[in-house]
Formats: sequence, structure tokens, C-alpha cells
Amino acid sequence: MAAFLKKIALLTAVALVLSASSIEAAEPVAIIVNRANQVDKLTEGEVKKIYTNNTLAWPDGVPIIIYDLSINDQSRAIFSEKILGKAPDLVAEEWAHLKITNQAKNPPQIMKTPTLIIRRVMREKGAIGYVAIGLVQNNPDVKVVSTLR
Amino acid sequence: MAMDRGTRASGLFKGAFRAFSFLLLMSSVPALAEDPLERFRIDLEELKKENEALQGRIDALEAEDEETRHGLGLLSNLVEVSGYADAEYAFTDREGEDSGFRIRHLSLFFTKDIQREWKLFTEVEFEDAPRIESEKAADTVKSSQGTIFVEQLYIEYHPMLSWDIRLGRFLTPAGVWSIYHYPPYVPTQTSPIIYKEIFPKVSDGVQLKNSFSLRDSSIDTHLYVANGAGNPGALDRNESKGIGARLNADLLAGLSTGFSYFGERDNDGASRMSYGGHILFNRSALRLQAEYQIRSNETDAASGSDDSGWYAQAEYDIGKWTLAARYDWYDPSSESPDDLWTRATAAVNYRFAHNVVGKIEFNSNGFDDPSMDDYSQAILGVAVAIGDL
Repeated sequence: MAAFLKKIALLTAVALVLSASSIEAAEPVAIIVNRANQVDKLTEGEVKKIYTNNTLAWPDGVPIIIYDLSINDQSRAIFSEKILGKAPDLVAEEWAHLKITNQAKNPPQIMKTPTLIIRRVMREKGAIGYVAIGLVQNNPDVKVVSTLR
Repeated sequence: MAMDRGTRASGLFKGAFRAFSFLLLMSSVPALAEDPLERFRIDLEELKKENEALQGRIDALEAEDEETRHGLGLLSNLVEVSGYADAEYAFTDREGEDSGFRIRHLSLFFTKDIQREWKLFTEVEFEDAPRIESEKAADTVKSSQGTIFVEQLYIEYHPMLSWDIRLGRFLTPAGVWSIYHYPPYVPTQTSPIIYKEIFPKVSDGVQLKNSFSLRDSSIDTHLYVANGAGNPGALDRNESKGIGARLNADLLAGLSTGFSYFGERDNDGASRMSYGGHILFNRSALRLQAEYQIRSNETDAASGSDDSGWYAQAEYDIGKWTLAARYDWYDPSSESPDDLWTRATAAVNYRFAHNVVGKIEFNSNGFDDPSMDDYSQAILGVAVAIGDL
């Protein structure tokens, strides 16, 4: 019995270490905007206001186009917890409620891959999105305005 | 002796040759053993590179496809369909009612983006699984159950993200529950008592909606002109129109608050003024919501009374579970001292999937009026959201 308990304790410890290392291994997330955007820095509070539709336009009046990753993406989990303070599925549920009632002012557009977000942000002046930082570190066409670690 | 020496030399040579061959063989063994492993490793690296290149090409193709569609500004040719449905079993001890299954709603939303600025939004609701039969000869209804109705139908013009105009039938913008009440997204199957009692459920008219920022707050405003309560579409039987407004301010830290107003003169000439205030706190796993509404009803004979009510609701999410409680209070007439209706509700929700919710609800209703019996209800239900939401 003692040996069995030891095994369970060992397995639990291994699982905890692995889970902790996977969280630590998560790459920082970069909030990106188009390089022509006048904004150079955004605080986490400002990003939250954009992603909750409390800010609809950039300071120069250009409408904001919001991009989001799919619900199971690791970068979305980090973004959702750090910026919105909620799990991605709860946030998705709130958007679904707003969409079904046709009350959503500027809902985020869900992109399947970070590549799509980068390309959209490169192309559209009003776009904002987030991706793993390694994907945009040497990309001159997008501007990193905030980093989430 | 010479022969012995020759034989020995030959043997020595043979031995040396064998040793050399053995050493050669031995040295070649690891090389032979490493070759397949090395080849495998190289193949694997190449496959990885090919896989990455293919993934990159797929991403690029998808991106190009998206960009082309987006760049051309093509809107879907299809009508977008979404909605919800819910079914339940309700146990009740209310006099004159039986416990049983109920197919409560099937609501279908049809949305058509006509152009970037124009949209058609429609909600058709089927309540209690409607079935209508008619007598073919007489063309009269023989039997019926449930209701089918167009709950919303409006044409929307939105030239900017912060502005839109809606013409048609829309949910009356008043407080919180009147707009945000669809079963997959609220914790209870029963609505607060004041819902539909003080402000009309739907309004036929025109609505102007504007959003703007004031310091750190985001303000949403609704202003509308409508036929008035009880006057949908062609049934409007008076010249006067109702006027309504709603304001909601999203303050900091998940707190929002606002007020609503609706004033009209009804078909009987009575002047009805409805006022409401709401407060909502939504942060992390906790949601608190409360509304107070009051309506003054005055007839030409200068007599009148008020009806008023409020509710307070708390929700807390724990993983896939939501725990909720609500208290309702409603006074249908300030002139009658014994007509209060109160209700206490507790509910537990479980999300089987992000758009499938199981609900257990218990509510207990109490009446001041001695002619009304108190009753309780227990409801087991499932609500499903439909469509790509």
C-alpha cells in the first residue's frame, strides 16, 4: 500500500512539474498593429477597452478592426487571462450573447492561424491582433505595441 | 628448418592477413550500423522541412484566400442563421397546473448583410411547439397550441461602428434583461417578474443607437419612437406615439449602470410613464445584476396608480458550473395594499459544451393577496445555442 501511495505521489509530482514547465514554456504574446498606426504603445487597460468594444476607433479616427485567435489556441488563453481576466470560453460565450442579440458593436474576427492575423494586420491600417512574439520579432510590417509574458 | 621457417612465415603472414581483415571488418561494423540510423535521421529532417514548407504554403494559401475575399469586400451570399432552443420538465404545485414536459422555445435568427452599412435582422419565435389546424371548408382554426410570432424584424443602417439606426420591430431597449435574456446565456428558465410588465417587450418603430467615450467610461445610448405597448404593427389604434430612451455607462472594473424611460398614451387615453434603473457588475467569475422599474399610470379622470418592481441576481462560475440566485419583488398597483408578488429562485447550470447548457432551477412564489395561493416550481431543462456564434 505504501509503495502504491509512493507511486501515486511520484506520478502527481511528475505531472505537476510537466504542467508547470508547459506553462513556463508558453511563448510571450505580442499585441500587434499596422506599422502605419500612429500608436506606439498600448497599456493592458487600453487593449482591454479595445477588445471589449469600449474603444471603437484609433486616435486618428480610423475604425479599429479586432482579430482574435481560435478558442483553443495557447496564445489566446494567455491573452484572455491577462487582458480580459477570464477564460477564453467564457469570453466567447459573452460574444455569442452579444451577437445573437445583435448588440455587438465591433466583434473580433476569429482567425484560424497566427499567420492570418499577421497578414491582416500588415494589410489593414486599423487592425489589431496578437500572436506569439517569435512570429513577429523581425517583421518590419507590423508594430508590437505591448507584450504579455 | 628452412621449410619450417617458410611455413612459419607463411603462417605469420596468414595470421597477419586474418588479423588485418578482422580489424577491417570490425572497423566497418559501426559504419554499417550507423548508416541506416544516419539515413533515417536525414530523412526525418527532410520530412520535417517539407512539412514546415507545406504548412507555410497552406497558411499562405489560406491567408491569400481570406485576403482576396476581404479585399474584394465580398459579403456572404447566404443568409446567416442562428438561434436557440430549450426544452424542460417542470414540477409544480400550483393550483390548476400540472407538472410536465414543455418545449419552451425555438427561436431562429436570420441575418443578412445586404451591404457593408445595411443589414436585415429577423427573429422568428416558435413557443410551446406550435400546431395549428384549420377547417378547410370553413377556413377557421379547429385547434391550436403554442404561438408563432415575429419577435424582431428590422432593417439596420450603420454608417459607423458607433452609430446605427433600426427601423421595424425590435426588443424594447430597457434595462438589462429586456435585451439580454436568451436561455443559453441566462442562468434561469423563468424571467424576472417585472420583465414585460412595466416596459413593453417589443416596440414597432425606429431606434437610434450611439456609443461614445466619456473620460474612461463607454456610454451606449438608445433613443426610439414606437407605436407603444400593446400596439404591434397594424393594431396601432391611436395617433400618439411612445418615446423611449436608454443609457448605459460601462464604468471601470467591470461595473456598468444606467437608466431607461418610456412614455406613451395608450388606446384608452391613459398616460403611462415608465422609468428604470439598472446596475451590473461582471468581473472574472462573478456577475451581479439588479434592476428597478416603476410606471405611473394616469387616466384622463386624474386617477391613477403606479406599478413597480425590482430583482437582484447573483451568478458565480466554477469551471463548467454556474451557481445563481435571484430575488424578485413586484407590486402591480400602488392603490391595492395586498397584491405583492415575491419570488426566490436558485439555479445550477452545467455547460456540456460551450453552446449546450443543462439547468436545474427551483423557485418559490409568495403572494400577499389571500385569494392567491403560494406555489413552487422545480425545472430541469436544456438550452442550446444554434449557429456559428
